[in-house]
Amino acid sequence: MQDRIREREREREREMSGGIVEVKEHKDGEENMAAWLVGIKTLKIEPYHLPPLGPHDVKVQIKALGICGSDVHHFKNMRCANFIVKKPMVIGHECAGIIEEVGSQVKTLAVGDRVALEPGISCRRCNLCKDGRYNLCPEMKFFGSPPTNGSLANKVVHPEYLCFKLPDNVSLEEGAMCEPLSVGVHACRRANISPETNVLIVGAGPIGLIVLLAARAFGAPRIVIVDVDDCRLSIAKNLGADETIQVSTNIQDVCEEVVKLQSAMGSGIDVSFDCVGLNKTMSTALNATRSGGKVCLIGLAQSETTVPLTPATVREVDVIGIFRYRNTWPLCIELLKTGKIDVKPLITHRFGFSQKGVEDAFETSASGRSAIKVMFNL
Amino acid sequence: MGKGGMSHGSAGEAKDGEEENMAAWLLGINTLKIQPFKLPPLGPHDVKIRVKAVGICGSDVHYLKTLRCADFIVKEPMVIGHECAGIIEEVGSEVKKLVPGDRVALEPGISCWRCNLCKEGRYNLCPEMKFFATPPVHGSLANQVVHPADLCFKLPGSVSLEEGAMCEPLSVGVHACRRANIGPETNVLVMGAGPIGLVTMLAARAFGAPRIVIVDVDDHRLSVAKELGADDIVKVSTNIQDVAEEVSQIHKAMEPGIDVTFDCAGFNKTMSTALSATRAGGKVCLVGMGHSEMTVPLTPAAAREVDVVGIFRYKNTWPLCLEFISSGKIDVKPLITHRFGFSQKEVEEAFETSAGGGNAIKVMFNL
Repeated sequence: MQDRIREREREREREMSGGIVEVKEHKDGEENMAAWLVGIKTLKIEPYHLPPLGPHDVKVQIKALGICGSDVHHFKNMRCANFIVKKPMVIGHECAGIIEEVGSQVKTLAVGDRVALEPGISCRRCNLCKDGRYNLCPEMKFFGSPPTNGSLANKVVHPEYLCFKLPDNVSLEEGAMCEPLSVGVHACRRANISPETNVLIVGAGPIGLIVLLAARAFGAPRIVIVDVDDCRLSIAKNLGADETIQVSTNIQDVCEEVVKLQSAMGSGIDVSFDCVGLNKTMSTALNATRSGGKVCLIGLAQSETTVPLTPATVREVDVIGIFRYRNTWPLCIELLKTGKIDVKPLITHRFGFSQKGVEDAFETSASGRSAIKVMFNL
Repeated sequence: MGKGGMSHGSAGEAKDGEEENMAAWLLGINTLKIQPFKLPPLGPHDVKIRVKAVGICGSDVHYLKTLRCADFIVKEPMVIGHECAGIIEEVGSEVKKLVPGDRVALEPGISCWRCNLCKEGRYNLCPEMKFFATPPVHGSLANQVVHPADLCFKLPGSVSLEEGAMCEPLSVGVHACRRANIGPETNVLVMGAGPIGLVTMLAARAFGAPRIVIVDVDDHRLSVAKELGADDIVKVSTNIQDVAEEVSQIHKAMEPGIDVTFDCAGFNKTMSTALSATRAGGKVCLVGMGHSEMTVPLTPAAAREVDVVGIFRYKNTWPLCLEFISSGKIDVKPLITHRFGFSQKEVEEAFETSAGGGNAIKVMFNL
């Protein structure tokens, strides 16, 4: 009877940790807890059994974690694009913490080090990985992308080479902000942002704002940002946008708005970042960008888009896609350390790691408007 | 007056003994008439060319049928044609590199050379571009034209005037291959085996593409593509529901993954196929201009970092085209399927043949 109970417990534990690890007896005292997505709009804080520490792994005590739009999407729909949540999964991926334990072969990190975590473990064997485009690895295991458990937990185990030491003057919250900031940095690299590129940003949400900060750091001389929401536009102005323009959701307004945007920029728009990804925003970006320029599509709101693609290609306006990031943590940390970028104003709400805290935090993040980055302090 | 105009009044305008310059004028929908074409005076940097070979382009046919092409509208009679080569008859006072008797291929478009795009080398995008047979600029299906000397490229001895005229469509393929970075490591998919798909395929091979798969709805065009060196051909439908199945057929034909896809048709279906079939991190090059608004699954492609690269005409391609043709790296001759002379009847027949598609690839005038 005892054996059967223990067997059932082990079975449950295997399930909770994704069935990837051997069952171990819990240590006396604190159990590792995590926020599990167990159903639509249902998050529960429950035990999270960690895998054993490999020789090149570290165990990190998570201290700061931000909520991303994709986390909210998983929360609301149990899916995000082609990623479907089929069994309970720990949520969250934008994080930083303190090293608690290091594997036997770990050389560059020590217990007590404060680190920011890059979420995705790629295979490092396929052609894309070997080519350096590991963000596109088909075998990518990414925190909070099913079926890989995320990091809204007391502790996680992660490879050493994906943990980046934070300088003393960079806080753990700023460390967690490296993740969204990486999206902006990767986009600016792919779009070749420089002191000669005038930039249009469509959408002043968390991603649009981060792109604003990154583009400025890459030297963009003039940045115009648009949104439907004037609250977000005023935040953008405070964060340094040269000009902000309120636009509508009505696709008939594209022509008129393009004229406004182009005159707000003065000279041609070299690069447009669509940080929303709707028909209207793509159409606006494609029409507003100068011949020979680029439109960078970051926002992934719609899967099928009806866009005036041919006129754009007839003017050789290229469309560049962005999927996450690669090799961005060192640069993000440098930009934060030197003060070239200040992400702190983006953190608008803070919550603790409790059942109620988790529920309130997700509700706040989902509501948008004045909530830019909602941060957990664990 | 730039590129000349209609002769008014009597034929006595021409000098005694000299024949009047005639051209094929687009006067209305489906209406071409050979009429006098008065040339502008020869500037110091210009040359006068006796046109000997002119190919018909899909855009020429489109103007004939609709008097417009995208945003370009024919508002007054215009000489048609732009893919041409000929023999220098007269040179302006400052022309150093060309002499009468030289055989040359002509690059059609005169850009402003002053704007930022021109100064940057992207002169194909110049907003002040004056391009043969793009209204309001007269084309070159005429006995003679006047053109800047630096847009006339001397043909090597082994290259015929017809091949010289073929440099224009070939330039589109060459420009596309450059923008898409075609090389010995890029497996290429070509959507559409029409004239542009075929020149793109020839150019891709010349740039070193190791494997080229080409698709079309038309069996005949696919067999032409096979003869011209396609590694594999796949017949596809016009039905957008078939995209998923066709993508897997294409993937089987191109085992290691498609690095670059050239959409040489430019329809929702061809773009959707291209965006799905191209590997993560690859490029889709949109060359064909079928529709102006397209409904395509752009987001899944963007989320795989499949970039969309647009192509508008070409820039700095004539020297390379002539090099490819003279070295034999590219043979454009099989693309010339029909030939016509320069008479009223033949001009009408030639356009009808070109518009008919089917086994007509490049219809060429010999003047």
